[in-house]
Amino acid sequence: MNAPWYKYGLFNDEISLVVAVLIGIGFGFFLERAGFGSGRKLAAQFYFTDMTVLKVMFTAIVTAMVGLYYLSVIGYVDLSLVYINPTYLLPQIVGGLILGVGFVVGGYCPGTSCVSAATGRYDGWVYLLGFVAGILFFGELFPLVEKFYVTTDMGKVTLPQLLNLPYGLMVFLVCAMAIGAFAAAEWGEKKMAAKNQGEIK
Amino acid sequence: MKVTQWINKLSLNQKLAALLFVLGVVALFAGNPYGGAKATIDAQELALIVEKQADHVSAEDLADWIIQNRADYRLIDLRTEPEFAAYHIPTSECIQLPNLLTSDLQRNEKIILYSEGGIHSAQAWFLLKAQGFKSVYMLFGGLAEWQEKILFPQIPENATPEQLNAFQKIAEVSKFFGGAPQTGSEPAALQPKPSLPTPALPSGAVNPKIQTKKKKEGC
Amino acid sequence: MSSSQTSDPFTPKPYWNPYLSGIGLGLVLLAAFVIMGRGLGASGAFSSAVAFVVEKIAPSHAHSNSFYAEYLGDGSTNPLKDWLVFEVIGVFIGGFISGKLAHRVVRSVEKGPRISTRKRLFFAFVGGGLMAIGAKLARGCTSGQALTGGALLNFGSWAFMMSVFAGGYAMAYLVRRQWT
Repeated sequence: MNAPWYKYGLFNDEISLVVAVLIGIGFGFFLERAGFGSGRKLAAQFYFTDMTVLKVMFTAIVTAMVGLYYLSVIGYVDLSLVYINPTYLLPQIVGGLILGVGFVVGGYCPGTSCVSAATGRYDGWVYLLGFVAGILFFGELFPLVEKFYVTTDMGKVTLPQLLNLPYGLMVFLVCAMAIGAFAAAEWGEKKMAAKNQGEIK
Repeated sequence: MKVTQWINKLSLNQKLAALLFVLGVVALFAGNPYGGAKATIDAQELALIVEKQADHVSAEDLADWIIQNRADYRLIDLRTEPEFAAYHIPTSECIQLPNLLTSDLQRNEKIILYSEGGIHSAQAWFLLKAQGFKSVYMLFGGLAEWQEKILFPQIPENATPEQLNAFQKIAEVSKFFGGAPQTGSEPAALQPKPSLPTPALPSGAVNPKIQTKKKKEGC
Repeated sequence: MSSSQTSDPFTPKPYWNPYLSGIGLGLVLLAAFVIMGRGLGASGAFSSAVAFVVEKIAPSHAHSNSFYAEYLGDGSTNPLKDWLVFEVIGVFIGGFISGKLAHRVVRSVEKGPRISTRKRLFFAFVGGGLMAIGAKLARGCTSGQALTGGALLNFGSWAFMMSVFAGGYAMAYLVRRQWT
């Protein structure tokens, strides 16, 4: 077992920041390749006309999930050393709802807004301004929501642990679900395109 | 032949979906990614480590590290809880052998094990090594040696000046840990067995242990 | 698809097949897991920046607030010397490189035909603000929670992801004039 490299001390903090930039470049590059620099393309997800967000996101999730699973099974990666966010169920559900609303209003999520700004979109820059203002707002009001922020603390819990299923079975289920979602997305896009065609006529 | 023809007819997206499906199905049978209880041992490598005694930390070194307040390792006391409560080396944690693998020890941490003598820590050492823990060490001679060398160091009879010098140094260390250096001239056997100091370090002797800096890893 | 034509002398190239972009993104995420033992993120970088500025203006105020304090750390290092901050700098660079290569770097505003630019920018600002509140409440955004946590089968992240889609679809009708 040799990975995660950083946690086995293969390089120091300074190098890790170089790694951060490189990984960020890859991240930004593929976000832009997918068309996530465009707010219209992102927002189209919520009008069923272009399901790229779902396709790209789920493909990325299953790719990383499957890759990490196999690298751990062969003993290369110590999965218990990969950082996992603790679950605070209620704040995450409420936060997710607000974020979803913000997504369709603003047209971006934080990562994609950076790509949008980098490719010259003024709304991307303004979105980022709003984002920073929102953080400041949240930070200033944090004492008021602090109690809610720490409710329903479930610790670090994964789906296999929660449902008491083998990890491999969960991987399979997510893969199967993703394939189903992709098929539905392709089908839905065709349907919507046909419908819109009809409307124009 | 038929299969390849069939595959060739698929679009790229369909091929990718098929690949994902296959990977998913294999995952059903591939097993637990957390390593589980399966142990893999590179016997040759372990034997070499043992041979070179690269798996030991001496009581003096450990004492120095504690005084320097180093926080880059975890000191594990393998004895029972009552024994631990009666005395333990400052900064140590009590984890018994059966609980080792379910404890929060991480494979990338530097772990120093000790027990009364050397047997339990040697067993624990193999257990952890087999589980892929990278740097595991044993306190040489265990707690027995810690008491003899650090808590109650004995001045050698007819000590040479160098030996005296060394003893003075170790006596300082010993006092830090609340020990009692033995300077009496009568043979050690005749002395009453000194009582063990309280496990806690004298207050103010040491800063609260600096936690290894916790890096924020979430958003 | 892209709303941007104009000043660029080249026509923008079409976007990649979403599944290929997704695989690319997934491999970057996997690389982060293997190399660093952590996933991707975005919102945390901006939190560090905000905490940094607040601390410069009102140090005691920043340290008494546990939200800022978390990003400021123990004061031994500059809060901007943070992994996520550098990663986000990379995102800007990577996005620009990809956009430049495909002739997609265009000064423009992304919006539907039925809304004025000023209104669109207002919505972008409000959306960004809402997103920040949601992301901070949920301890991560689409990158840190949905993508990273999704791949790690993190329960909270999946619950979060479902909520994001629920919130988005619920709101979509109300702001349809902005996009369609």
